Amino acid sequence: MERTEFLEKMQDVLQMDDELTFDTVLESLAEWDSLAMMATVAFLDANFGIKTTFDDFKSMKTVEDIAKKVGI
Amino acid sequence: MIKFKKEDIFIVTGASSGIGQGVALRLNELGATVIATGRSLEKLEETKSLCTFKDNIFLEQKELTENINDLPNWIKSLRDKYGKMRGLVCVAGRDFPNALQVLDEEKSKNLFDINYFAPVFLAKGFADRRINTGDNASITFVASTAAVQPEKGQTIYAASKAALLASSKSISKELASKGIRVNCVSPAYVETPMYYKNLETLGTNIDEYPLGIGKPSDLSALIAFLASDEARWITGQNYILDGGYL
Repeated sequence: MERTEFLEKMQDVLQMDDELTFDTVLESLAEWDSLAMMATVAFLDANFGIKTTFDDFKSMKTVEDIAKKVGI
Repeated sequence: MIKFKKEDIFIVTGASSGIGQGVALRLNELGATVIATGRSLEKLEETKSLCTFKDNIFLEQKELTENINDLPNWIKSLRDKYGKMRGLVCVAGRDFPNALQVLDEEKSKNLFDINYFAPVFLAKGFADRRINTGDNASITFVASTAAVQPEKGQTIYAASKAALLASSKSISKELASKGIRVNCVSPAYVETPMYYKNLETLGTNIDEYPLGIGKPSDLSALIAFLASDEARWITGQNYILDGGYL
């Protein structure tokens, strides 16, 4: 998956109207709650086969951090 | 007095007859814009002809069980066409009274598709922040008294409605922070085409209803209230409307 597509899909996972960037800090988003985290876990598993837990997100502060986690 | 604005857009499924038609007419009468959906465009036209404000009702023919997984995309297409929506009222459903000994797996699954999976996937679509207005938006599911007190011949129907009740509770908790309230209305027999179908097969127990059989308008009054600002503190509830039967 290309980086642009990843960003678009993440925006979809978070159901955001505003443009998401790689620099976006997850905690700064009103949309970033436990359900959004749950949806992200499912998204990463379904698209990259990468299993994550809620604990993993403690070290992932930005969208870029998630991208790195899946090797994009 | 409950009032809606033209900008308050509601999707009503099963709007071509019975309870769904009653809900569409009531919301329209109270000033809301209604996207009336049903299987038959011809029947939806009948609903439109009965509307108070004919400019504020739009008809969308849709077979909800055709591709359940795609229902969220369909809701998105309605948003693109009409704008962000204030509410979703899921009325479309079927009953299929049958004796246990002749239950058929495929027909049973079909019943679950229309009574359970379709409303849940419509809710999934509606719940997207980009689809609904988010400020006191609402989802109302029409379940049935069969969900809590099934009659004979309702093995699958009762289960599908009980499943809807259970899910609506979970969904209400999930969507509260998004500004969406979720409630169920559970009617006993109401004078609708579905009632007359039951009458022909297993019969009904209307004699046991202290207030007699219900009318679609009895349901639409409560559903309009639940969709309004007056109900801002109400979510995760199930309201039984049964003329005093249970």
